[in-house]
Amino acid sequence: MSRPNASNSSAVSEELRPTAAAAKAREPMNVLIVGVGGQGVIMVSKALASLAQSKGFEVKQSEVHGMAKRGGTVFSHVRFGPQVWSPTIPKGEADILVALEWAEGLRWLAYLKPDSGIFICDTKRIVPPFACLNRRPGAPLRYSRETPAEVREHVAQAYAIDATRMAEELGNERAANVVLIGALSTALDFPAEDWEKSLAQFVPKKTIAVNLDAFRLGRSWIAEARTRVIEAEAPATRIPVPAESPYSVRLEITQEWCKSCDICVKLCPERCLRLNAERIVELAQPDKCTGCRLCELLCPDFAIRVHLDRVAARGAPA
Amino acid sequence: MSSTIVDSAAEFDVRDYLRKEMMPHFLCPGCGHGIALRALLWAVHELGMDKDKLAVVSGIGCAGRLSAYIDANTFHVTHGRPLAYATGLALARPDLHVVVITGDGDCLAIGGNHLIHACRRNLKLTCLMLNNEVYGMTGGQVSPTTSETRLTTTTPLGNSEPNFDACALAAAAGASFVGREVTHHVPKLKELIRAGLAHPGFAFVEVLSDCTEIFGRKNELGSSAEMVLRQKSELRPSAYRDTVNTPFRSNDLPTGVLSKRDRPEYGAAYRKAAAAQRADAAAKDGARTGKGEF
Amino acid sequence: MNAVDKLPAPGAALRLVSGNHACALGAVAAGCRFFAGYPITPSSEIAERLSRLLPQVGGVFVQMEDEIASIAAVIGASMGGVKALTATSGPGFSLKQENIGYAAGAEVPCVIVNVMRGGPSTGMPTRPSQSDIMQTRWGSHGDYPMIVLAPASVREIYTETVRAFDLAETFRTPVVLLYDQVIAQLTETVEFPDIGDDARAERKWASGPREAYQPYAANEDGIPAMSRPGGGYRVHTTGLTHSESGFPTQNPEAVARNLGRLLTKFERHRDVIDSWQALDCDDADVLIVAIGISARAATRALATARAKGVRLGLFRPVTLWPFPETALRAAAKTARAVLVPEMNAGQLELEVQRILGGKRVYAMHRYDGEPITPADIAARAQALAQETAI
Repeated sequence: MSRPNASNSSAVSEELRPTAAAAKAREPMNVLIVGVGGQGVIMVSKALASLAQSKGFEVKQSEVHGMAKRGGTVFSHVRFGPQVWSPTIPKGEADILVALEWAEGLRWLAYLKPDSGIFICDTKRIVPPFACLNRRPGAPLRYSRETPAEVREHVAQAYAIDATRMAEELGNERAANVVLIGALSTALDFPAEDWEKSLAQFVPKKTIAVNLDAFRLGRSWIAEARTRVIEAEAPATRIPVPAESPYSVRLEITQEWCKSCDICVKLCPERCLRLNAERIVELAQPDKCTGCRLCELLCPDFAIRVHLDRVAARGAPA
Repeated sequence: MSSTIVDSAAEFDVRDYLRKEMMPHFLCPGCGHGIALRALLWAVHELGMDKDKLAVVSGIGCAGRLSAYIDANTFHVTHGRPLAYATGLALARPDLHVVVITGDGDCLAIGGNHLIHACRRNLKLTCLMLNNEVYGMTGGQVSPTTSETRLTTTTPLGNSEPNFDACALAAAAGASFVGREVTHHVPKLKELIRAGLAHPGFAFVEVLSDCTEIFGRKNELGSSAEMVLRQKSELRPSAYRDTVNTPFRSNDLPTGVLSKRDRPEYGAAYRKAAAAQRADAAAKDGARTGKGEF
Repeated sequence: MNAVDKLPAPGAALRLVSGNHACALGAVAAGCRFFAGYPITPSSEIAERLSRLLPQVGGVFVQMEDEIASIAAVIGASMGGVKALTATSGPGFSLKQENIGYAAGAEVPCVIVNVMRGGPSTGMPTRPSQSDIMQTRWGSHGDYPMIVLAPASVREIYTETVRAFDLAETFRTPVVLLYDQVIAQLTETVEFPDIGDDARAERKWASGPREAYQPYAANEDGIPAMSRPGGGYRVHTTGLTHSESGFPTQNPEAVARNLGRLLTKFERHRDVIDSWQALDCDDADVLIVAIGISARAATRALATARAKGVRLGLFRPVTLWPFPETALRAAAKTARAVLVPEMNAGQLELEVQRILGGKRVYAMHRYDGEPITPADIAARAQALAQETAI
């Protein structure tokens, strides 16, 4: 097995950046890449793994994907060094955590090395279905409410990048992951040209140009962020928490039009409808109804109309 | 109160667009066509279309009966011919917004010729094909879209004819807007129909709908609710797949806007050419009069 | 633009035009602004002429994908309030039947030209025939009323095309213009009559409040007012049996009432609808009943026979359906025998027999693609006159 030359062994040059030098010290470099299905997590890890391998490191890449083609959580462990035994990164051992989605990033924070871990995260929010379990209109999402500033307190180095918007401005939203690769590249000491070569293998031919732009943009963003006052690095993405709207739900049922097909009863997410003794739909559990309108929309006979009636907020000024 | 209820459906009451005196409609319990009708009327509402300027032409069959329930100018014409009637109506009255409601048999079998030529001609029309895989009105015979192996009253051994992919057909025939959606996703269906209505040429929208009472019963597909839910997981096979042993709708059948092309709209192109000819003739007549000739 | 495709000015100089060309000119003069058709011999010239004429007057010409689509588009245009025409020949006319029934049942005005050629099936596309006489009346399924006009000259094709539109619009009905291939492609010198604006009949349009409007309500003349889309009435039109409201019904009383009105709606307007030519009928011993080119041959036969002292008369129904039976009975008063020369195997003969029950009705059939000659008619009629001499 070929080993990299220990040419620059004392080069813990600047700051806390873990470098290939650290890898040479027999400890593998651990990079955890996480996101949501469809964002390109695997592509990021492949580009990194391929590059590391071309530099003579032993590389192990371990991923979990396919939970959902789109929208499900996806993560990839990339470990490289003179020798790598285990394919996965233990908790608290990741040198770098690259997150393509904000909440996924937070979910994996515990994997970062507490003292030196680098957190590179897109501020893009993809709200998963289970974050809206309460279907009442205006109900708060169960999505993380932490701001980048709050996260930074717990991490050695954190970069919250609006990579999706940056890629969008370049003309291809899908290049957001490459913006993050650009950011990641500043934390590893592979030459930029080699990164670009590796990238070109993994993106569609037509999009090479835009992806290289994205890569450079990610790099320059980090360079700038290092010189800037830390609070200015990314827009605060505090999620607005809407006050729960006080309203009551009323179902207007045109009994003569109902044909007892049962679609509304079976498809109601809250199971609050039933057919009465005459097999006509009725709202059995009004308190459970969120007013989601699924029954109204799916009724083939137009027999249900959902009314959301505002009620005066208790004591609160309107 | 600081927050507002985000509810785009709140202002749309389907009953404002129905001929309430005709209700309840005559479709079977659980029939998907009613859901499709709601999506159409919702799209009409969102586009702010004038009911007086809306003309709905429908053919024969369960889908054809829908027009009678719409508070608009409605024409329930002969089997297979709604696109041809609509072509005449739309050419004669470009101020009207003409929508065709047709079924899979009406549109693809007896009316197949009109469909491909309507696609080719690209006259501004919106064709809503409600595909329930069966001739429901006549008691459940096999249709051009019945999936392989399905039982119908005329395929007691299971259907062995390959079925049509109507959207592929329409796109191949040149339709400038082609889309498909299921009735289970009402807001998405509404958006698709809305895009079709707004399209400045011929728009073909296939709605995968359920025939619960006849087709569902014959093939033991469960209750109406189960059939609607099945749309999420088991879609019918598309025509050109090489494996035909899929018993259910294949879930790789694409939905959404499948094809969109920028082509000249027939009616406008014809009127423009006619106006140019009239202007030309008037100029020649003027020149002759100037010279004092006859 | 070809000079031939100029619209005739009223009272303009003589023009040499074909029957099909005259039909196209008559349609435009009558206010037709929509044509949909499909190529078929021997009617295609009508489509070709109108493809050039209609854009000149702001109308629309469209060649559809088939014969059925053509009649459907025509009915669709007419439902939009525009006077509309289609033209075809036997095979195409057969294909259009279902939708002609729709127009009759839903009471949508339109005009269908059927240029008769030899049949059955593809038959003789370029040869004349008169074998669609019964089909024009009974071609679609079910009971329905029908108006069929049978012109016999190029000039009459022009005037009857105008009248076809007038009748269609006035009585909310499909009207068939039926003539044979000979007249269709015959070129004659024509002086186009001034048809005047009066001839341009408009259908009766709905008026008054929407709530009070019933699309098929019977009124004093039995012809319901139609609503124009966009006028705020938003009615339903269907080929299903419908009540006054326009919505489908199978209520026996409602069906009887509404279908009854439909089937008899021409009866009180026969004075306007009936049209015929009676030539030398007052003292005729033998009455010839014929249409189209056969009637023209009979006209010549009449002259030949009269010159020999044989008293022949000619009754030519111009409105073929409903058949002008009162006029035929009057024309046949003195006749000892009736001769029906027709280019088919016996169709007009049946109607004449029905009307003139008790009279001796003889037929002359020819279905070989050749017209019946004046000499043949004269010889047969003279023989009949002798045989039946008292």
